[in-house]
Amino acid sequence: MSLAWISKLALAAGLLASPTLGWAQSVNISYLTHWSPETVALLDAAAKDYAKSNPDVTVTIRAVPFGDLLTTLRSQGGSSDGPTIGGIYDLWLPELARDKLVAPAPDTVAGEVKSAWPAGVVSAASVGATLYGIPNEIDVYALNYNKELFKRAGITAAPKTWSELKDAAQKLTRKDAGQQGFGMINSWAAGVVHPFASLLVSNGGELVKDGKPMLDSPQAGETFQLYEDLIKSGASDPAMATADANTTGPFLDNFVSGKTGMIIMANWWESALKSGMGDKFSNIATAPIPVGPSGDKPHSISYSWMTVVNANAGQAEQKAAWDFLAWLNSPKSGKNGASAMSDILMSMGILPTRTSDIEAHKDKLGSEFLSGYVSVLADAKPFPVVPGGQEFSESLQQTLEALQYGQLSAKDAQANAQADAVSILERAAK
Amino acid sequence: MIRTYRASAGIMLAPAVTLIGVFILLPMLLTIWLSFQDWSTQTPFSSASFIGFDNFREIFGPTSVGRDFKRALLNTAIYTALSVMLILPLSVAFGLMVYQRDVAGGTALRTVLFSTYMVPMIAVTLVWSKLYSPSEGPLNQMLGLAGIGPQPWLSSPRSALISIVVLNVWQQIGYFTVLAVAGLTQIPGSLYEAATLDGANRHEQFRFITLPLLRRTLLFSAVIAIINAVQVFEPVALITQGGPVGSTNVLTYHIRRVGIERAQGGLGSAMAVMLMLALIVVVCALFAYANRKDDQ
Repeated sequence: MSLAWISKLALAAGLLASPTLGWAQSVNISYLTHWSPETVALLDAAAKDYAKSNPDVTVTIRAVPFGDLLTTLRSQGGSSDGPTIGGIYDLWLPELARDKLVAPAPDTVAGEVKSAWPAGVVSAASVGATLYGIPNEIDVYALNYNKELFKRAGITAAPKTWSELKDAAQKLTRKDAGQQGFGMINSWAAGVVHPFASLLVSNGGELVKDGKPMLDSPQAGETFQLYEDLIKSGASDPAMATADANTTGPFLDNFVSGKTGMIIMANWWESALKSGMGDKFSNIATAPIPVGPSGDKPHSISYSWMTVVNANAGQAEQKAAWDFLAWLNSPKSGKNGASAMSDILMSMGILPTRTSDIEAHKDKLGSEFLSGYVSVLADAKPFPVVPGGQEFSESLQQTLEALQYGQLSAKDAQANAQADAVSILERAAK
Repeated sequence: MIRTYRASAGIMLAPAVTLIGVFILLPMLLTIWLSFQDWSTQTPFSSASFIGFDNFREIFGPTSVGRDFKRALLNTAIYTALSVMLILPLSVAFGLMVYQRDVAGGTALRTVLFSTYMVPMIAVTLVWSKLYSPSEGPLNQMLGLAGIGPQPWLSSPRSALISIVVLNVWQQIGYFTVLAVAGLTQIPGSLYEAATLDGANRHEQFRFITLPLLRRTLLFSAVIAIINAVQVFEPVALITQGGPVGSTNVLTYHIRRVGIERAQGGLGSAMAVMLMLALIVVVCALFAYANRKDDQ
């Protein structure tokens, strides 16, 4: 064969092979989140940064309301065309892992996470000894209060105990002005259950211990009673407490417009407060959860979020997803030694979890608003992550809402909550 | 000859029957079969295990599963009944108004009424959630101008479901008005002329001519309104999430929560079967009632 023929054949083979190789190398992955459009824009920018050094990987960001996130993951995660990456709440992990919707992290990622994140956070992203996600945020609860309303009511310091809380709530209540002393939340499971659980652990109680519900304890009884007292005294108005699918709504509107004196909420709503209040955000201060009569010191419950990879996605997509997540959460991707993920989280007032990120954001974490949350991190108790946890949360939500609206007494609410929790957790454990 | 005719009829009907069988009957049968199984929606059908009537016992039992289902069933029934009770009389009233050929602006009014039906439910829901806002909502502001204090609307278990019914009626009324107008056009004008000659006033004409001759239209409207109401989902999912205190937790939303969020496919299927049975019973009862009236 002449050289000319060999050259022609080589050229033809090259032309035939090049598009095939090109297609084989390009990977499209999608990232499902519940973040707001502003935050999604930041994530999109990070994905574009990643694409500069990884031109064959395209990351598409997709957002749904928080209320639809689990449903979307469950309904689409079973297929290879579903979202490749999903941001999930740790409570959902045991059941998503049981149903094989999320993939275990590869050894390299697992090794990196175990060495660079605190052990408690790593355990929340694991089922047994298997790590399933890269942790990103941790949320804790604190008492948020309006300093201006406190001043007007003649209250000089944030309440430290439940009796001080009830007293302050009473002083802050002005029914004629549509103002409530202490804000509760309803129509949103975590918004109802987490503040209750934070008060419960600050009273020496627990929601679940060794897989068994502990809502029949005297400490839980006192917490139910606190809710009843606040409602009956008029210091809390359940009609001002509703939330919508985006975890916003009247409960938030009433706090930002100065119609709620105090509320127990997580750190992540800093961005919502800032956008709702503008300059008046400086009126808001945070304090540890008031301690109940049976408690020793303030505690909060904590919960974390992580990013997981769809176990049903193709091998190339899974690999690209883990590589992207490893980069997104590494100190190389953000500013000043922080990860791009932590920069995104901090834009919302969310506490990052990677040890190097906490160090990199030390200044911002010391702000007046966030320092109140950072101070309770050490004594925070993780929200129990058990099979059936979501159903347990929703059931407790119903009971607490019935208590808020006066449909149940504190005693009946406690009995109902415990009976329901026993049946739900027993069934889920089977 | 008859055999050839039957064969060709069978061939012509086969595509439609096959499509109905595959896309309607098969899913229905599958749902019924799953309602007797213990099955997670995240696992293949082959992993389902037969548990008899356990799912049905559970959804009617005293635990939180049973309580939530019964509450959702009741909420759906109330929502449906209120929707139908408001939509039917209003559609007839609006139909009579826009049907008046000698009244100026009838066509414009008909267009405005029907336009609400063309707006997607999601958009309607978002707008109404702001209208109902307790602090900044225009509804409470208007009530305030009239000296009436702010109403909780979606924030109270007493009024949340009714508020969603109002939203539904507002959106659907245009469509049912068009149906009512179509029914009115079928009534011969000579009947009214004869009644006028006999001395019947407007009220008597409406009672003894319009209403009886609109019965078939109203029956059709009622069936469609019931089916639409039973399928309510968007306002609950977007605004209330079934709350407060489960007061707006309707069956479609609850089945999604149980069957998809919690992956309890067997329980969710049992709930769907009960919803289907309830719907069949109600629609059959309605037809039976209408047929009895016809016989009389």
